[in-house]
Amino acid sequence: MSLEELQAAITAANEINLEVYYYWCTAIMILIHAGFMMYEMGASRVKHTLAAGTKNILAFAYMIPTFWMFGWWIYLAMTNGFVPDFEAGAGGVPWGESMGPNLADNATGVFWGAFTLFACTTASIMSGAVIERIRMTAFIILAVVLGSVVWILAASWGWHYAGWMVTSWGYHDFGASGVVHIISGFFALGILIHLGPRIGKFNADGSANVIRGHSLPMTMVGLMLIVFGFFGFLGGCIIFPGTGVSFDATSWTNIYGMPTTLSAITFNTLMGVAGGMIGAYTKTQDPFWMMSGALCGIITVAAGMDMYYPGLTFALAFAGGVIGPMAAKYLEGMGIDDAVGAVSVHGVCGILGVVFVGIFLGGYPPFSEDIPTITSMGQFKGMIVMVLIGFIPGFSLAWLFKKMGILRASDGVQELGMDVEIENTAYPEEIKSEI
Amino acid sequence: MFSSSPIEAWEGAGAFFSFGPGTGMTVFIFWISVALCVLPLYYIMKTENHHEDKHGDK
Repeated sequence: MSLEELQAAITAANEINLEVYYYWCTAIMILIHAGFMMYEMGASRVKHTLAAGTKNILAFAYMIPTFWMFGWWIYLAMTNGFVPDFEAGAGGVPWGESMGPNLADNATGVFWGAFTLFACTTASIMSGAVIERIRMTAFIILAVVLGSVVWILAASWGWHYAGWMVTSWGYHDFGASGVVHIISGFFALGILIHLGPRIGKFNADGSANVIRGHSLPMTMVGLMLIVFGFFGFLGGCIIFPGTGVSFDATSWTNIYGMPTTLSAITFNTLMGVAGGMIGAYTKTQDPFWMMSGALCGIITVAAGMDMYYPGLTFALAFAGGVIGPMAAKYLEGMGIDDAVGAVSVHGVCGILGVVFVGIFLGGYPPFSEDIPTITSMGQFKGMIVMVLIGFIPGFSLAWLFKKMGILRASDGVQELGMDVEIENTAYPEEIKSEI
Repeated sequence: MFSSSPIEAWEGAGAFFSFGPGTGMTVFIFWISVALCVLPLYYIMKTENHHEDKHGDK
């Protein structure tokens, strides 16, 4: 074998290894969706169980074609803001040569797949908050707008080496605390303001009642599946070395081109899960929040987990595990009925994640001269952008759907159970809801 | 029935999906897939409205 042939064989092997890596990241991420489905079904009362699961699965199903139709194009084309760069977006045109089987392009399909599953995650985050009263059609449209437009627009700005937030402010968000979690959490908040609470959640004096789901064990198993799926999600946030789309020939890098390792991600994913669980359980002594605390922990450290010291990760995740349930209580006090605490777990802990990077990760050298170093102010401004880009579309669309009368199911349907709308029941043995 | 191959040989081939990139047929099928996303929403809403009418005033 000549030197040229050897080089060609190495290049081909690298390309195939890249495909294999992201292919399995994508498959593992499907467990996030399975986990959210169990989480939300378990958190629903018996009469709403199947509707909660069906909505979750339909969000998944709708996200895939719509992300193929326009989501990936938005990511490639919108790095400058609201004005598309059609040349950069050419690789994402759905009838173009990269958006289907192509022997000269091993990368686009697997990257598109991974990003599609990120999009599915955003919709799943929102779907838990609105269970037991949102109507199916409105939910699907909201999910598509969140997953295939809003979050990916934010990703194009802050999760792309050429995104304007990255090149202007040095915005750093390795594991998507901002672009996935703040966006989804605040999009959900915008919907909840118009959707209103579940029947019986609040008393006339404004005090809140606890509405327990029908299966806490199902919820807990679901959350463990999400933790498993996070290895695919966070593994999918790093760039494979040594290929035509890599930043480096020999080292893994983050999405901004800065070197990191899978070991770094392993240290900090596990420490984040543990810190969040212990923090939340310490604060609440509640198994539901112990499991949600795992998410609080990961989300609080995700933005900087490519560089954090594991002990720092544990401490920050612990703080996230304490603050998440406190934020949920605060929101409830404001009359917002977030059935699973999605706004607090994802929105509030996402804010912590982005801001903590500014506090603890200053001074690291950027990948190129085009990207400024990480600063507290850059992260703070980035956080504000994420909150607004998440909240405004969710609030506006939900307002529109409320005016059209298609947002919230009627009291009669809610009292019978949302399962009546899908003409099926979760438990044929006729287990009944008490309220 | 359809002769959809955009390539004549595997050697040197790039995009090889049916009908090939940027062709009229590909764009037509794309819009079919858009319609297949939108139309089911009509049927979902129809079922939803039926149950709202039936149970909404309870």
